[in-house]
Amino acid sequence: MKLKSEFIAHRTGDESFLVPAGGSAFSGVVKGNAVLGEILARLQTDTTPEAIVKGLLEIYDADEAVIARDVDRALGELRRIGALDE
Amino acid sequence: MTQTYLIAERLVEITSLFPAVHEHCREYRAEGEPELIVRTTPEDIEREREISLREDAIENRPGRDYPDSYLETLAVYRHIAERMPAWDTLLIHGSALALDGAAYLFAAPSGTGKSTHARLWREYLGDRVTMVNDDKPLVRIRGGGAVIFGTPWNGKHRLGENIAVPLRAVCFIERAQENRIRPVTAAAAYPELLRQVYRPADAAMMAGTLRLLDALCAAASFWRLECNMDIEAARIACEAMKGQANETQE
Repeated sequence: MKLKSEFIAHRTGDESFLVPAGGSAFSGVVKGNAVLGEILARLQTDTTPEAIVKGLLEIYDADEAVIARDVDRALGELRRIGALDE
Repeated sequence: MTQTYLIAERLVEITSLFPAVHEHCREYRAEGEPELIVRTTPEDIEREREISLREDAIENRPGRDYPDSYLETLAVYRHIAERMPAWDTLLIHGSALALDGAAYLFAAPSGTGKSTHARLWREYLGDRVTMVNDDKPLVRIRGGGAVIFGTPWNGKHRLGENIAVPLRAVCFIERAQENRIRPVTAAAAYPELLRQVYRPADAAMMAGTLRLLDALCAAASFWRLECNMDIEAARIACEAMKGQANETQE
């Protein structure tokens, strides 16, 4: 899976955004914290949920179950707005 | 019909199907080698009609049936706005005015009262206020500063001038019973700006738009105004934003 090319991930300050280019069916904005930013960064290239979780565990000192839950939640939201190519 | 115009310091050649867009833009006529060529098609007009009807549906109002000539003026500006990020320039939906050599941009969702608030400034300050653009100004962000440009697309009342003014502050407006203004951080301003900026369909231009918004956040001050329609709203907004700017200069 990876982000569709019309969805632009952007970080500003401590916040991460995912913004669709004009003309997309989804016209809102996804806003989140640095963890979302890391997830979006990994979705720039083809990846898997497992690889994303593994990557985040290398950065964050957190329980794997917690990270996996956050990744699952984020991917669910991205799927809902049609941002993922799978 | 073909004519060249200077829009935000870019020479734009427009070839249209209807003459209306040239009348619309006549105060911006210019000569020279165009940097952008816009040629509208019937498909552009149909697309604008679809967008307009979609917006009407979202706003829960009856679909408005605009003439093709008007829809073409929208299509022309869409072509221009698509390209502008390449020149460090963004279209931001809002009402902009100039006071004492600095510009203030009021941004809010449609129907909130941006234009009404700008009118209050004109009533409060009289001839000291010049409307830059009452609907869709262009903002160029470069070298740590921002400049706002009048454009022919300046709202249904055609309020605006063909001028460029340094942008000092952006004010997000909310309706309220009482008038209150407070500064907001760039982090808080960013998502608000995202809602009001034109989003190009081209992904690279969209990415450029997001970078330019970062730069804008560093180049202007940001405020949130809760206001009613009393002239007092203009007084407190003006005193706060102008006062802050003066303090910053000192």
